[in-house]
Amino acid sequence: MYKFFEMIEKLLMGPMTKLSEQRHLRAIRDGIVSTMALIIVGSFFLIIAFPPIPALAELVKPHIGKILLPFRLTMGLMALYASYGIGYSLSKSYKLDGISGGILSMAAFLLTSVPVVMDGTGWVLPMGVLGGSGMFVAILTSIFAVEVMRFLQTKKIMFKMPEGVPDSVARSFEALIPAAVVITVIWIIRHLLGFDIQTFIMDLFKPLVTAGNTLPGVLVPIILITILWVSGIHGVSVVGAVARPIWLVLLDENVKAAAEGAKVLPNIAPEPFFQWFVWIGGSGATLALVLWMLFSKSDYLKKLGKATLLPGICNINEPVIFGAPVMLNPILAIPFIIGPIITGTISYIAMALNLVTRPSVLAPWTLPAPIGAYLATGGDFRAVILVLINIAIMMVVYYPFFKAYENKLLKEEKQNQESTATL
Amino acid sequence: MTKILLVCSGGMSSAIVVKAIEREAAKEGMEVEVKAVGTGEYNEEVKNGWNIVLVAPQVRHRLPVFKEVAKELNIPIEVISPQGYSPLGGKNLMQQIKGML
Repeated sequence: MYKFFEMIEKLLMGPMTKLSEQRHLRAIRDGIVSTMALIIVGSFFLIIAFPPIPALAELVKPHIGKILLPFRLTMGLMALYASYGIGYSLSKSYKLDGISGGILSMAAFLLTSVPVVMDGTGWVLPMGVLGGSGMFVAILTSIFAVEVMRFLQTKKIMFKMPEGVPDSVARSFEALIPAAVVITVIWIIRHLLGFDIQTFIMDLFKPLVTAGNTLPGVLVPIILITILWVSGIHGVSVVGAVARPIWLVLLDENVKAAAEGAKVLPNIAPEPFFQWFVWIGGSGATLALVLWMLFSKSDYLKKLGKATLLPGICNINEPVIFGAPVMLNPILAIPFIIGPIITGTISYIAMALNLVTRPSVLAPWTLPAPIGAYLATGGDFRAVILVLINIAIMMVVYYPFFKAYENKLLKEEKQNQESTATL
Repeated sequence: MTKILLVCSGGMSSAIVVKAIEREAAKEGMEVEVKAVGTGEYNEEVKNGWNIVLVAPQVRHRLPVFKEVAKELNIPIEVISPQGYSPLGGKNLMQQIKGML
């Protein structure tokens, strides 16, 4: 078993953590994460517009258009906000001016759109691609913008300001040439040559997005995340760096359908699927393990169970993973990896058969799972039932391994007592 | 007064460890100020006069990135041992902190 852990460390952890620490992926992750508050708050307006209580739904119906505006201007522009965040983080990582990089990235992204004139309104920017569906466009244009900036800077192609010019003034002049290059290049490609950059990039990533919504597409991240956590590495932060753009595109398609009042949403596997139905109590669904620990005969496990129950309900499980520990513990690692594969498959099937509404709302991840699942599905009580079923399944999966580990600890505790008694 | 900065993924799990350190330090009569931040806030926060930086074990793969800044500021930085990163690991962690000072 220890050989197995060694192998994981060498084959999987090293390359994967290195990949997630790669400069551009890091910028993408940090940039997208910086928009989360807007997305979470914005998507709550979706619940307000379509409340799960019929009487309330009737009441708000005439105002849906107005209620959805904050949602449209946050979630609906997600990729635009992210392009700033990504450009900012990436230029910071190159020790370039973050604000210049962020603004230039935003301009590069916007330039891939074609504004149209509407009677009575004037110029209008089509919003369809500025939300989650344009995430990959935002990522690539932001990287392009900052890389151009860096290239020109390292080649020393820039306006030199004489000494004594204030820093902020000098900086705005330094940004002139990169801005000219980025804007001109995208303008020529998109508007003079008429090459549709947005559609091209979206088509390019479509197979990846489609794959992310299949059962294997759900199980691969589940397995990678649990295996990384078993080695003591934050699995979601590593895997999410690559998978989150895909999850956001999936979420965006669901959210658009939900805002139009659709009964069945197109996608099963945006991030809330994992968050609420699989990671109950944290990665590896450790809430079930904590519940067993509360009733343990081992002093240590009982104490730990009490200390980790509240964090566990809020989906914080580092105390369990490092405390029990699950990390590098062959006995507890097995259910930690196997269990989520089972609950993930069951939840996927339940949603494929439309027994449970598919997720469309991003709720804060520290909410207790039944509440989070209820909100994420726009108020479907069957989601709560699925969460409870999954907790029960996880308790069954953990039980034999928990007992085996408990017995091992009990033996050790007894030995300790005997050795101190003889002293 | 020893100022200790903790870094974890979102600043959530380390908030629990903050309590463990404070409790353990109070027992030993040591004056500490402990703050937990997520990896995103680290670069800015680390400049605010901290004495040591402790990195949560689950983000230890990002240590080289954190180290870069800490080194410039001459602040000792270490990854918390897995045993120390547990609600019952306060003592263990305190030893590590003392070793760094």
